[in-house]
Amino acid sequence: MAEGSRLYFAVTVLMCAFVSINGVGLNDLLERASQLSDKLHSLSTSLTNDLDSHFPPLGRVMMPRPSMCHTSSLQIPNDKDQALKVPEDELLSLARSLLLAWSDPLTLLSSEASSLAHPERNSINSKTKELQDNINSLGAGLEHVVHKMGSSSDNLSSLPFPISTLGQDKTSRLVNFHFLLSCFRRDSHKIDSFLKVLRCRAAKRPEMC
Amino acid sequence: MRNSGAVLILTFITNLISQAAGVSSPGKPRLTSCRSPDKETFTCWWEPADDGGLPTTYALYYHLENSETVYECPDYRTAGENSCFFDKNDTSLWVNYNITVVATNALGKNISEPEEVDVVYIVQPNTPENVTAAVYDEGQGPFVKVTWEKPRNADTRSGWITLLYQLRIKQEKDKEWENYDAGLQKFYNVFSLHPGKEYMVQVRCKPDHGFWSEWTQTSYVTMPDYIPRERSLWIIITVFSVFLVLILTWMLNINRHSVKLCLLPPVPGPKIKGFDKHLLKSGKSEEVFNSLVIQGFPPTTDYDDLLVEYLEVYDNEEQELVLDGKDLSEECMKSKSPSDCDSGRGSCDSRTLLLEKCVDGREGGGSDQHQYSQHGETSWASTESSESQGPEPSSPESTDGRVKTWPIVFSSPQPQLHHHYQVGSAKPAYHSVPEILSHLSPHATAGNYPQLHRQDIPSHEGRFSKPACPHSQSYNQFNRDGSDTPAHCVPPSHSLEYLEVQRVNPDNMLLLRPLSDPNREAEGSDRTGEDYSKVKEVTSNNILFLQRETSHQFVDDYTQADHCTSQQSPHPRKPAVHQSYSPMPQEGMRVMVNGYVDSTVLMPSY
Repeated sequence: MAEGSRLYFAVTVLMCAFVSINGVGLNDLLERASQLSDKLHSLSTSLTNDLDSHFPPLGRVMMPRPSMCHTSSLQIPNDKDQALKVPEDELLSLARSLLLAWSDPLTLLSSEASSLAHPERNSINSKTKELQDNINSLGAGLEHVVHKMGSSSDNLSSLPFPISTLGQDKTSRLVNFHFLLSCFRRDSHKIDSFLKVLRCRAAKRPEMC
Repeated sequence: MRNSGAVLILTFITNLISQAAGVSSPGKPRLTSCRSPDKETFTCWWEPADDGGLPTTYALYYHLENSETVYECPDYRTAGENSCFFDKNDTSLWVNYNITVVATNALGKNISEPEEVDVVYIVQPNTPENVTAAVYDEGQGPFVKVTWEKPRNADTRSGWITLLYQLRIKQEKDKEWENYDAGLQKFYNVFSLHPGKEYMVQVRCKPDHGFWSEWTQTSYVTMPDYIPRERSLWIIITVFSVFLVLILTWMLNINRHSVKLCLLPPVPGPKIKGFDKHLLKSGKSEEVFNSLVIQGFPPTTDYDDLLVEYLEVYDNEEQELVLDGKDLSEECMKSKSPSDCDSGRGSCDSRTLLLEKCVDGREGGGSDQHQYSQHGETSWASTESSESQGPEPSSPESTDGRVKTWPIVFSSPQPQLHHHYQVGSAKPAYHSVPEILSHLSPHATAGNYPQLHRQDIPSHEGRFSKPACPHSQSYNQFNRDGSDTPAHCVPPSHSLEYLEVQRVNPDNMLLLRPLSDPNREAEGSDRTGEDYSKVKEVTSNNILFLQRETSHQFVDDYTQADHCTSQQSPHPRKPAVHQSYSPMPQEGMRVMVNGYVDSTVLMPSY
C-alpha cells in the first residue's frame, strides 16, 4: 500500500515537473525572458550612470575602445533588416552566447566592485550582485526556450574572457571596471533586442507588438 | 628665407586688415544632439559657431569605432539646417560613431569636439498619432476613452522597437497635469472626471531604453452633465439611515414601558393582595381596609387589661425576651424607614399584621407565619428573632426569619429554655409559647397541652396548614372547628390550655399565665372562649393595634382604631403592644386557598 502510494506520488511529481517545464507556452517563456533582459540592461545603464557621476576626466582618455570588448568578435546583425532576416534559433543562440560570455566577467566585476575607489561603491556593489543573479536566471530561462523551440543547444560561440584582474592601481581598476561595464551594457542591449524580436515573432497578441 | 619672411609679413598684414575689417576664421561648432526615432536612422544637429563675418560652411565627418575611414555626412538637408541625416544604409547599431563638425570660411576652419554616439542609446520616437478622446458610458457612469496610434515610422510590429505610452489630462484652469501610464496599449480609460467640464488630453511615448517623445497636440473632450454616483450613494445612505432611525424609534416606542422602567424605576406601590390602590387614592380608607378583612375570622377574646396580642417569645442565649425583641426593634428602627409600603410590609397606613423584622436571615418563615395567623392566633404577635433560631425546624420554615412575622407567640423553641420559664410569676418569662405551654404542662392542672390555639373559630374559610408533627411541641396546632382536624399532629387529646399574656413588662417581657390560672382576673364575660384578638396593625412606633371582633364593640373601637396613632412607646424597644382595639369586620378577611390569611396581616415596620 505504501509502495503504491509512493509510486503514485512520484509519478505526480514528475508529471508536474514536466508540465511546469513544458506546460508554459513559448510565448510566455519569451515574454519572461525579454522582461529579464530588459531588467538586465536597465541595471547596467544605472550602473554606468553611477560610475559616470564621479569619473576622473583622465579616465575617459585612457578608456579602451569598445572594439576591445571580448565579445566584439561575435558576428551580430547591425541593423534591423539584417536582424529580421536572422532565423529564430540563430538569434536565440546569439543571445545565449552573449549571455554566456558574460558570466565570468561579471564574477570579476562583482568581486572588484566592493573595493572600487568610488564614492558610489555600495550602490555599485549591490547592483553588480543583482546583475549576476539576473544573468543566471536569464540563462536558465533561455535553456527552457531552447528546449521549447527544439533547436540544438550546441550552437553557442565561445567567447573567452582571459582577464583575471582589473589592474593594480586604483585608477586603472576604476577605468577598467568602467570599460568592462560599458561592454556589458552594449551586449545586454543586444540580448534584449534579439529577445524582443523573438518575442514578437512568437507572440499571439499582435496588439502588443 | 626671403619667401618665408614675405609670407609672414603678408599674413601679418592680412590679419591686420581682416581685424580692421572685422572678419575672422569661424568659431568652433558644437554638436548638440543626435537622435534616432526608430532605431534605424538617426540625425545629428550642431550649433553653428561664430562665423567670423564671412560665409562659413559646415561639414560633418564621422568614422566608426573600429575603422579609420572617415565619411562625410550623407544628407545635410533632410533634417533641416545644421543637421546631418543618416539613413538606414548609413546607420549601424551597436557601434560607436565618432562625429565631428568642421566649420570653414575664407579665413580658416574650425573643428568641433568629437562625439561618440551609439545609435541604440539615442532613440527618441516621434509623437503618437491620431489621438482621439471620446466620452463613453457603459452604465457605470460616463468616462473618457483616449485612443491613439503609434508613431508612423516606429516598427513595433516586428518587435524591433518597443514603445511605452503615457497620457496626461487636465482642465483648462488646472495648473498640474494628471499623468497616466498606459504601458504597451494604445488606449486608456479615464474615470472620475467632473461632469460638464472640458478637458485637455495629450499623449507621448518612449522606447524601452530611450528618451520620451514630445507631447502630441492637445485634444479636447467635454464631459456630459450627470449626477455623480457618489451623490446617489449618499442619497441611498441617507434614506437607509432615516429608515433605521424610524425603526429604532418605533421599537423604543413599543418598549417604552420597559425603557421607562429601566430609566425611571417606579416607586413601588403596596403589594397587598386585595388592597385596592384606587380606593386608597380616592381616600376612602374604610373601603380599602374592608377589602382586606377576612370574613369569618375567628373571634378573638379580648382582655381588657391585657395585651391581647400574642407575642412570640423566644429564648436566646441571653434569655432575652424576644417579644418583638429589642434587637428587632433596634435594628428595625435603625434600618427601616417607617413607611415601607412596597413589600406589603406595613407602615402606619398599611395595617398589615405582619411585623417586619429587620434582622436578616430568615425568610421562609413567612409561610409559616401565614400558618400561624390563620386561626385566632392572628392576634399573636410572633416575633421571630434570628437569635432564637432553633436548630430544629420546628416551624417548618420559620427559622430563617426574615422580617415577616406574625405576631405569633411561638417560634422555634429551645428546649433548654424550658426550665427558664415561669408562668404566672412576676419574673419575666422569655419563651416561645409552646415552650411555655410545655413547661406549663406540669404545672397545669388539666394537663395543658401546647395547643395554643384551639378554639372555636366560627366559620372560617380557608384551611390551615398543619405544622409538622415532630415539632408539635413547639407548634401551634392550628385547629379549626370543622376543618381538618389536627389530629394527626395533635398529641393525644388533652384539654386545651390557653395562655394569655398577662402583661408586658417594661423590659419587654411577656408575662404569661394560663387561662385557667386562678389568678387570672376575670375577663369580660363575653370572652369565654375567645382569647384571641387579632392584631389589626402595627404602627411604625411599634404599636400593635388589635382588633376586636366582638361586634358590640365595633362602634366604640373603630373610633379608637382608625387613626394611626402615634403613640410613642415609652420604651422604644418595647414592642408597644397597645391595647388599641380596632375591630375589623370579619367579613373583610379573606383566607386564601392555601390556607394563608390573605391581606389581613398588617406588618409593622420598625
